[in-house]
Amino acid sequence: MTAASATRRGAAIAFAALALGAASVAAADRDAGRRKAEVCAACHGPAGNSVNPAVPSIAGQPAQFVATELFLFREGNRKDPQMSAIAAGLSNGDLNDLAEYFAAERPAPPKHRTAPENAAAAPALAHKFNCVQCHGPELMGQQHIPRLAGQQPDYLLAQLKGFKAGTRADIDGNMTSAAQALSDQDIQVLVDYLAGLSSGN
Amino acid sequence: MRDLAVAAAAMAVFTVAHAQDKPAAAPPPSWHQGKPPALGESTLHPFAPNLAGRSAKDLPTDKLKVPPGFKVEVWAEGIPEARSLARGEKGTVFVSNRLSKNVYAVVDRGGTREVKTILKGLNSPNGIAFSRGTLFVAERDKITRYDGIEGRLDNPGQGKVVVEGLDPTQQPGHYWKYLAMGPDGKLYFNIGAPGNIVMPNYTQASIMRVDPGKGVLENVALGVRNSVGFDWNPRTKELWFTNHGRDWLGDDSPNDTLHRVTSKGVHFGYPFCHQGDTLDPDYGKNRSCSEFAPPALKLGAHIAPLGMKFYTGKMFPAEYRNNIFIAMHGSWNRSTKQGYNVTRVVVNDKGKVIRSVPFLTGFLQDERGDPPMWGRPVDVLVMRDGALLVSDDYNGVIYRVSYGK
Repeated sequence: MTAASATRRGAAIAFAALALGAASVAAADRDAGRRKAEVCAACHGPAGNSVNPAVPSIAGQPAQFVATELFLFREGNRKDPQMSAIAAGLSNGDLNDLAEYFAAERPAPPKHRTAPENAAAAPALAHKFNCVQCHGPELMGQQHIPRLAGQQPDYLLAQLKGFKAGTRADIDGNMTSAAQALSDQDIQVLVDYLAGLSSGN
Repeated sequence: MRDLAVAAAAMAVFTVAHAQDKPAAAPPPSWHQGKPPALGESTLHPFAPNLAGRSAKDLPTDKLKVPPGFKVEVWAEGIPEARSLARGEKGTVFVSNRLSKNVYAVVDRGGTREVKTILKGLNSPNGIAFSRGTLFVAERDKITRYDGIEGRLDNPGQGKVVVEGLDPTQQPGHYWKYLAMGPDGKLYFNIGAPGNIVMPNYTQASIMRVDPGKGVLENVALGVRNSVGFDWNPRTKELWFTNHGRDWLGDDSPNDTLHRVTSKGVHFGYPFCHQGDTLDPDYGKNRSCSEFAPPALKLGAHIAPLGMKFYTGKMFPAEYRNNIFIAMHGSWNRSTKQGYNVTRVVVNDKGKVIRSVPFLTGFLQDERGDPPMWGRPVDVLVMRDGALLVSDDYNGVIYRVSYGK
């Protein structure tokens, strides 16, 4: 148990030895994250590079994004049969360790191949629908916002449909709002484009 | 956050329905609303907190600066998205959050601090106030009381509703509330504007109050875009509050502001007039700023003043007595960032502002960076010993500023 998990469990004992008398939390630890991430590989693939089109790649995602999503699963804001159960037992320290680990891993080149007509049409859509506003000009994500480039297509499709339906958790309402303007055709084009986009590898 | 998502969806559907004759474009998020075409390529955006918090060991706390003789240290950490602060009679410090659902209690046990999650599953419980044994919690739609809270931190129960129906439109923007107990025994809270620059309804863009024994609402201040901090001048008993000006009018306009409420029901200008002297380019047509109450102080554009407290403690030097400390949470809507500090405002005996000066600084690392800061002050709290606590929602940390020793 880390000091952070002790904090979560309300155990005062972990604080006793600290300078300044402040309640202290363990610094984020990538190596600890690597050990804790062993269970993740079963679905998310080696080092977080998913080979399942329905499961997201988390290798090279921004650390703040990984920790935020795990937090939302744990707190019940975002729901998934597997992830809710896995996140339920994680401390804040665990979330940060896992985030540090996955953020430092290299994303694998995408297997998906975008149809040429979608590759031509999608950049204008990504601009029109404000994707690049938050996810960045290369759609690589930043801070609490995920990398979309090279993400698994079935996963992207499910998320966009969920945002459009208002059923996908959203910390600030931005994606729910943005998805309202997307037609089913727009979603298909964007997904095909994003899934084949280079993630800097 | 499902309610928020639903609210955003409802808003978006509304927007789309009114734009059927135009090519479909993405409806703007509420922070994006009011962005003029000329700023269409702007990449400015708000910053989200690290919801799981960050360890103080990972933070450059050695960069924090306070005036000579003062000391700043980490007081507690591991409090996800630490927002508003309230102090109990027995020394408990209560901590709220905005994007999450919990209320925390920090219990000091002889120099070590234990963080307890005392309330769960609430709806954006940003506002908290403690009075006579009771913790009051303002969620986006209601205010609830938890009596005798310090004696039952492990089992606070369901609480009793003081007033509800405070979010009838499920508004997408500024839905979180600040809460404070007035010297008149009434609870004061804000209902923010439902977007950046929009026409509010009769209850929005206001500060209201409610007698917790009666549950009847009264207007206190109108035309207040979003106030997330207020306190009473201990000498004059007047209510003072901080207010966030609109976004997307440029790097230096308008100022966020500090106000005093000289009589109940005064209008402070939103959405017609900003900072007391600047008409809104859209809503200000055919209006005059002279009909609205001007601010007591302009604080800086987009600097995002949140919690404020008059300093009533005895630890700091005498010249700090009855000064105001304001937590600056921004800026984001500015190409060169400013703020991210706790500012001291000197007020004279008659309640007139003399000057303001940054007091706790060092959170701002790179004024052109993204993010530009490593921490963000949200609220301030004067402790019984006179020390000043400062919450930081970006990291889930509370700092303590003390003097002497």
